[in-house]
Amino acid sequence: MPKPTPLLPESDAREAALFFVVAALCFLAVLATLTARGTYTAARAWSAQVEGEMTVRLSDTDRRGAEEAATIIRGMSGVRSADVLSQEDLERLLEPSFGPGGIPAGVPMPLLIAVETAPNSVTTALAITNALTAQGFNAVAESHADYAAEARSALGTLRVAAIGIVVLLTATAIAVIAFATHAALLARKDIVDVLHLAGAEDRFIAQLFERRFWTLGLKAGAAGSVAALAATALIIFSAQSSASQNQLLPQLSLDFWDLVILAVTPIAAGLAARLAAGGTVNHALKAVL
Amino acid sequence: MNRFNPDMTGEPAVELNAVSLRYDTADEVLSDVNIRLRPGSFTFLTGASGAGKSSLLKLIYLAHAPTRGEVRLFGQSTGMLKRRQLSALRRRIGVVFQDFRLLEHLTSFENVALPLRVLGQKPEQYRDEVADLLRWVGLGERMHALPQSLSGGEQQRLSIARALINKPNLLVADEPTGNVDPEMGKRIFRLFVELNRRLNTTIIIATHDLGLIREFEAPVLRLQHGLIVQDVEHQPA
Repeated sequence: MPKPTPLLPESDAREAALFFVVAALCFLAVLATLTARGTYTAARAWSAQVEGEMTVRLSDTDRRGAEEAATIIRGMSGVRSADVLSQEDLERLLEPSFGPGGIPAGVPMPLLIAVETAPNSVTTALAITNALTAQGFNAVAESHADYAAEARSALGTLRVAAIGIVVLLTATAIAVIAFATHAALLARKDIVDVLHLAGAEDRFIAQLFERRFWTLGLKAGAAGSVAALAATALIIFSAQSSASQNQLLPQLSLDFWDLVILAVTPIAAGLAARLAAGGTVNHALKAVL
Repeated sequence: MNRFNPDMTGEPAVELNAVSLRYDTADEVLSDVNIRLRPGSFTFLTGASGAGKSSLLKLIYLAHAPTRGEVRLFGQSTGMLKRRQLSALRRRIGVVFQDFRLLEHLTSFENVALPLRVLGQKPEQYRDEVADLLRWVGLGERMHALPQSLSGGEQQRLSIARALINKPNLLVADEPTGNVDPEMGKRIFRLFVELNRRLNTTIIIATHDLGLIREFEAPVLRLQHGLIVQDVEHQPA
């Protein structure tokens, strides 16, 4: 006995258009999620890296004085290292500003000491400044964590915005599917009427549409996910091909949770489509006897 | 007298008590209609176009609720029934339309099997039953044809088979011969008569074909401007 023909006819042009819209929304949602996650992960790694790092600027002293200041710093509690930066280190640090030609002659440059403290160290930038000032140095110490806090705050805002975008895209997808289901219901009114008069319960009719839109959501979500995976891979490839971007985004890569997002998106899209379709059909059927 | 031998003792199969129907804010299409159809009765419903025949049938096959009054089917008042109970009641009613309302993407066999699929039956369970019924309506050779490849008469017989597959207690037909030639019309009516006699199915047929009404000599309900002007129980044809 051949398999019975589905009671709802095969998909038509309207469903092809809906497939594209859902796939595009899933693509954007996944991309927004992956970008937000990637940025957050990179920022967190960078914050952890600079936590406990400080830079001491010394003016009105020579390299010997700087070495003495470094020795004083090394003697403080919780300090792991304190190294005076060489001219080469300085030039490499300032290369983005001055270019590969090095620092022009005549530009007054302070001597810098790179300090690294142990986690939870009580030695603060202020304590180092005070200790060196007490020894007669014209010194200012700055904690890198201060910059990281600002970056973290900006990235937190970015993350909230990304979550908002994902929520908005999901809501849009659900609304579009509900609208499309309603249109499909009107287009298939003849079938719904015949089923209704044949004694089909609302649940039976709703399930026909739910199954149809579950499959559509699943396939469209998978297409969107695969496209987002391809786009992300391209971004990572581009970032890793460019040395400067690679330094800026050292942690940009796909991890386990990113893959979970990619795998879960089609299921979420299918479920959202199914729920939207079921709700729309049940609501419409309740309007008739 | 009614030669279709209704059961005069039990509850009426269909009972409309002081029923009125109005669509939205328009005038009433049915006013204060009172009818009773006995189980096993065969009744014609006639009247001019716009008299309210289709609206009356819609109340009987539960496509609409009355604006006022009570519709009782098989002894049950339908007004207070839950949606599931209404669905169950609809399964006891077969409906035949002038425009057939066949599903174009399903074969003849699948169209007839539709009410059984709604009940959750599998093809193995209904295969023989559907095939027998298609043979009975003369479509044994067209089981796998799509409706658009069938003639008007064949499509109407197919829709009758679909209406009968659940062995309904009540068959409602709205101008079933409106889209077929007179000879096919007679053939279809003979099917209804045979059904009524063999299975004691209560049948109500809306038609304005007076020739057929005369030929089949069943009682007539006549509607005029939404009012019953000739009553089945008091003035049989």
